[in-house]
Amino acid sequence: MNPVLKRQLPFVALLVVLASFPLWAPHAAVDVGVYALIYGLAAIGLSLLMGLAGQVSLGHAAFLAVGAYTQAVLVTKANLPFLLAAPISVVAAMIVALLVGLPLLRLRGHFLALATLGLGIIVTVIVTESEALGATSGIFGIPSIELGGRTYDTAEEAFWLLTPVVVIGLWLAVNLVHSRTGRALSAVNDSEVAAECLGVDTFALRLRVFVLSAGYAGLAGVFYAHYLSIVNPAASHFEVSVRLLLMVVLGGLGTVWGAVTGAVGVTLLDEGLRTVIPQLIPGAKGEVSLIGFGVVLVLVIILMPGGLAQLWQRLRRRMTPNPTMPGQHEHEVSRDEQRALLDESLQVLARSDHEPPGTTILQIRGLTKRYGGVTALNDLNLDIHAGEIVALIGPNGAGKTTAFNMITGVLPPTEGSVVLHGKEVAGKRPHVAAALGATRTFQNLQTFKSTSVIGNVKVARHLRSTAGLLRGMVLADRAEERHIDAAAQAAVDAMALTPLADHPIADLAFGKQRQVEVARALALEPSLLLLDEPMAGLSGPERDSLSWLLRRVKDTGVTIVLVEHDVAAVMALADRVAVLDDGKLIALGTPAEVQNDPAVIAAYLGTDDEATKAVEAAAERTEAEVADELTQVEEGAR
Amino acid sequence: MTDLLQLVFAGLAQGAVYVLVALGFVAIFSVREIVNLVQGEYAALAGLAAVSAVAAGLPLLVAAVIVVPLVMGFAVLLERLTIAPIKHMTPLTSIILTLGVSTAVKAVMLLLWGPEAKSLPNFPGSDFFLGGVSIRSQELWILGISAVVGYAVIWFYEHTVRGKSLRACAEQPVAARLVGISPRTATVVAFAIAGLVGAVAGVVGSPIYLSSWTSGLTLGLKGFVAATLGGLTSLRVAMLGGLGLGILENLVAGYLSSGYRDAVAFVVLVLVLLFKPHGLAGKPTAVRV
Repeated sequence: MNPVLKRQLPFVALLVVLASFPLWAPHAAVDVGVYALIYGLAAIGLSLLMGLAGQVSLGHAAFLAVGAYTQAVLVTKANLPFLLAAPISVVAAMIVALLVGLPLLRLRGHFLALATLGLGIIVTVIVTESEALGATSGIFGIPSIELGGRTYDTAEEAFWLLTPVVVIGLWLAVNLVHSRTGRALSAVNDSEVAAECLGVDTFALRLRVFVLSAGYAGLAGVFYAHYLSIVNPAASHFEVSVRLLLMVVLGGLGTVWGAVTGAVGVTLLDEGLRTVIPQLIPGAKGEVSLIGFGVVLVLVIILMPGGLAQLWQRLRRRMTPNPTMPGQHEHEVSRDEQRALLDESLQVLARSDHEPPGTTILQIRGLTKRYGGVTALNDLNLDIHAGEIVALIGPNGAGKTTAFNMITGVLPPTEGSVVLHGKEVAGKRPHVAAALGATRTFQNLQTFKSTSVIGNVKVARHLRSTAGLLRGMVLADRAEERHIDAAAQAAVDAMALTPLADHPIADLAFGKQRQVEVARALALEPSLLLLDEPMAGLSGPERDSLSWLLRRVKDTGVTIVLVEHDVAAVMALADRVAVLDDGKLIALGTPAEVQNDPAVIAAYLGTDDEATKAVEAAAERTEAEVADELTQVEEGAR
Repeated sequence: MTDLLQLVFAGLAQGAVYVLVALGFVAIFSVREIVNLVQGEYAALAGLAAVSAVAAGLPLLVAAVIVVPLVMGFAVLLERLTIAPIKHMTPLTSIILTLGVSTAVKAVMLLLWGPEAKSLPNFPGSDFFLGGVSIRSQELWILGISAVVGYAVIWFYEHTVRGKSLRACAEQPVAARLVGISPRTATVVAFAIAGLVGAVAGVVGSPIYLSSWTSGLTLGLKGFVAATLGGLTSLRVAMLGGLGLGILENLVAGYLSSGYRDAVAFVVLVLVLLFKPHGLAGKPTAVRV
């Protein structure tokens, strides 16, 4: 069955289960169920933030409170009808998130988490202090929702009203995870630098997901206000934020469905704790269910980091025997087959707007990188012309990768400029260079480990597709997704990786993963391709086919710059060779010119006794010793 | 002018408490790159435990001497039970985990001590006026003890081989191991120090700022803001940051409205991250590719 259709089945099941629940369940259970749905809605948003953006909000209740208070004010003071007030309340929560996220999401790490924790406190302070919002007693007398002449004033009615809202909210969120945006953000979580070098603007996407997640919380706040008929500062309390967080963690980080199972689980847990704890500890009140929340949160992270979703996966795997053994349908692609495939692929992937051969597309001036007193790259000046292959060679530590990092925006230069297609890119984020057509591979592999070979390559189509958050959520991106699939398949074919396309990339050998990186870079349809040691880890025949492929790619108008240690391959492949030594450009010319340059010979053969000694000393320690040491260190860290 | 001096002095004392909490954040972050959300709870717990010890008839000094090592042990125990078992610690996991621990600790404190805030009796000494500024002896105790403990921590991290080697663990775990520093020991020492500064903050601050089951949350957040000023790695900047934050909060509370006191830290956090994301003195760390 079509995977997109297959994804729809569980939603139908969920809809049926939820819609029938009030018919057979006792009234008290339905009442609890309404809370589960309301908090579940907010948890879906939080789960998107945590799973996709890799960020966490520790004060998500603040957004719920903003939605609830806005709705309460609009309905009771301005007398707006529900359908008019609700969108305004949701947008209010989203605006608060935008203001918080704008400065904070640019930063890596923990800052959003702590800032949202602070936001939770501040919202509580503001609503408690504000007389207009009723201070500690809050706003009461919020009427039940009326829609189309029907009043949703009982738990059953509220449950029926919320059911489609939650199911649609979940459906939109699941679609988002499988869309272009979801793919890009999942890639960011695996390797931020690689995703950015393929044109993913991490900050912009994270900000959108954060704002969206606040929107879900705001919507939950709207229903919260109407169902309780009162909003007071308790809505923004820390306890509510912990509850939402626990729902996501218990359900399973990274699965949106987990937010819904987690919501049910936490609500049951809460009910259970409220009855059990006062019996165990006399005098304890319901508030003490916080202990349970805290303990369960810790236990889940330690014992079951994938949450309930992890249990479910394990169960399913045990029920269904593994259908295909990995490697079963693998076969070696013959050389002729591969070349035929490549020609087809290049027809799909070749762009027609390359600049005419010989035009300078990359201009490097005075490029310098210093780390404290160490100069990794010193005043590099280099022009790269359209349609040529330039090799950057030099001993280890010569500054080759540093140069790549500054050209692609991975590192900001200390001094100097990099002009790509007439635009300055030095010091900008990598996605800027990618948008101008420059992408790269990495010396230390930077693959997206949580997906397959084709999944890796599809990320590279990010810049060649346009579907935004909304189009992805409502499945209006189907036609574009088919184009992405076709182009990604072409890039996989080009590298003769066709039999491995659906394999998890983590299962592949080192050399194959390197080839996937090249396929990924090709799928972007770059005008400038920067390859950092693409031959390392490849067998002899694989090196030959890569050389052959790079020449064919060059013929389609792509400019290639590569760092490579295999000097023989470089000399055969490159039009020009630039030699770096100790951070300085010591030679630049055709392979023949460079080979006879005395400075190059000195740099490569060297006369330094110390270097020889250092090499010998390093060789005395066997690889096994080092590996042993590393294992010990890892164990020690536990 | 007297008002201003009064507010600044009160702010310094308050800030000195933030300094201790901030040092706890830095002590752990610079070794394990974990933002430990339990940090504020050490202070709340130490304060409440000391109140109980004094209520049980122990002299104040004895209570303090017993409580501080107990909280240090508690901090290490929690680390062993919750942080140590995790094999792959990501920022997201560490935040959720330490939030879970701090939630459970808060709830236990609510259960044991109830919802009301409690305070220790003042340390010995009498209040006096200096140039029109009222000076409480407890504020002098806070400043004095924070200065001693704070400098002891800085001295340990910056001037002893053991302390310096802790930081090496964060930067180069493999290399640190090769020269004989065990990451496990380093982590335990870091958590013990965090427990120490947190507990001291709780005990010296309790007579003026009270201790309750919720006080750890706000105290922790403010300590974090102060630590952020130093990029979470500079002890010295974190100290200045804590004092500055205390003064600023008191000025806002004095000249605007005391309701906005708790908003100051958040605004400072956003502004710092906006203009100086790597701390007031720090430089961006390089990404290795």
